[in-house]
Amino acid sequence: ELLNQAALIPTDEKLTVLKQVQELIINKDPSLLDNFLDEMIAFQTDKSIEVRKFVIGFIEEACKRDNELLLRLIANLNMLLRDESVNVIKKGILTLTQLYKVSLQWLVRTKVISEMQEACWDMLTNMKGEVLELLDSENDGVRTHAIKFTEALIIALSPRTQDSEVPKRQENDISLDKVPKDHSYIRYDTLCEEGKTALEKLLKFMVHPAISSINLTTALGSLATIARQRPMFMSEVVQAYETLHANLPPTLAKSQVSSVRKNLKLHLVAVLKHPCSLEFHGQISTLLQDLGMPQSEIARSTPALREQRKRPR
Amino acid sequence: MPSHPLRVAVVCSSNQNRSMEAHNILSKRGFDVRSFGTGSHVKLPGPAPDKPNVYDFKTTYEQMYNDLVRKDKELYTQNGILHMLDRNKRIKSKPERFQNCKDKFDLIITCEERVYDQVLEDFNSKEEELSQPVHVINVDIQDNHEEATLGAFLICELCQCLQHTDDMENEIDELLQDLEDKSKRTFLHTVCFY
Repeated sequence: ELLNQAALIPTDEKLTVLKQVQELIINKDPSLLDNFLDEMIAFQTDKSIEVRKFVIGFIEEACKRDNELLLRLIANLNMLLRDESVNVIKKGILTLTQLYKVSLQWLVRTKVISEMQEACWDMLTNMKGEVLELLDSENDGVRTHAIKFTEALIIALSPRTQDSEVPKRQENDISLDKVPKDHSYIRYDTLCEEGKTALEKLLKFMVHPAISSINLTTALGSLATIARQRPMFMSEVVQAYETLHANLPPTLAKSQVSSVRKNLKLHLVAVLKHPCSLEFHGQISTLLQDLGMPQSEIARSTPALREQRKRPR
Repeated sequence: MPSHPLRVAVVCSSNQNRSMEAHNILSKRGFDVRSFGTGSHVKLPGPAPDKPNVYDFKTTYEQMYNDLVRKDKELYTQNGILHMLDRNKRIKSKPERFQNCKDKFDLIITCEERVYDQVLEDFNSKEEELSQPVHVINVDIQDNHEEATLGAFLICELCQCLQHTDDMENEIDELLQDLEDKSKRTFLHTVCFY
């Protein structure tokens, strides 16, 4: 009944009603989810941007609640990623960031993969490729979202190691080390390559001479996250920071240069504190000095040497 | 125009003068605005520069007002502090610390570089959950009454320009540069993620 009402009322009230329905069929009584799924999804063609964004959020919640729904809903998300509004596309990218991981985890757990599941994964792989292409979007905000997607992808498609910093919330997230090498459909090696390609794309994106200061900032932050969570990429990250520092994009205004340098400093310190950055301390300290950080402060941010492993002579 | 009113946070050190002045003007202009301080304590001027009145963030504006009336009504009337506290308590009951706020914003405006750094530090120390961007902009404002008023108008102009863009994230860079030229100030600007 609520859904019938929702079809006819103005956007603000519609969102309130739809949120009530979502709460009811996802959290209170999930047995209703299946019955009302189509009715909810029908709102993806609503003329209001907020309602379409809501539908994307609903797809995310529904698929997280019941992974099987990915089979039915991934095509809808695919369609919404091509929406005419950039705000809907951005919301779509955020949701794909989550659902890509959820799907991989779900498929990895499944021993025998059905044809439907294969098709679902193929579609997700396609969508992943398309969002990576959005790093070249004409819209600055879409690019920002594409960077964050790329960051999450690189982390999911590389192995977690004992030196990985793992945020509490992501403890149960999928990573490459959890993908079996003998899975019937998901190929470990392919995923590993895809992760590396994504990192290359991100690094290439960063040296684009016309990159905006906001996207440069976003990418700098993503690289710091990658270095801390996947220390095997530490060397690429430090190298990228060095290159950037020496060649800041000529298009940046003076105040933007100050903002970017401040960010670079912040992220360098974060990387410096990671135990795996030891062999790069020289490079990082030099960069920090160039950025105006006093030696005493650099020393304070450097972890004590006793953590260093003793090398045999 | 963005599909919803921008959620704005204005942040200074003690959530008394600069952020409250802007909070006042922005809410009168219909913005969805909140204000905060990043300091560990709330500091108000005292009888001498090295003797500030220090409160914690739990103290209400009303309590501070009464405390200062009791301490030296004439002094705090003369330097405008009582007037300011009176204004503040009509906006909200007590100062709020930015680091303790769990709500999400589209835009965070800080009033000095140190506060901007503290906001960035706070985002860096928290776990990212949604990858949802928030733009952080610093507008330097000296901590006195006149500058706070001027600064609040500038912040208001900035918010109005951003609210009227078709696509804020795509236009913010250019808009900030135009406003820098016009106001002869420089802004720090970055993006953080929730």
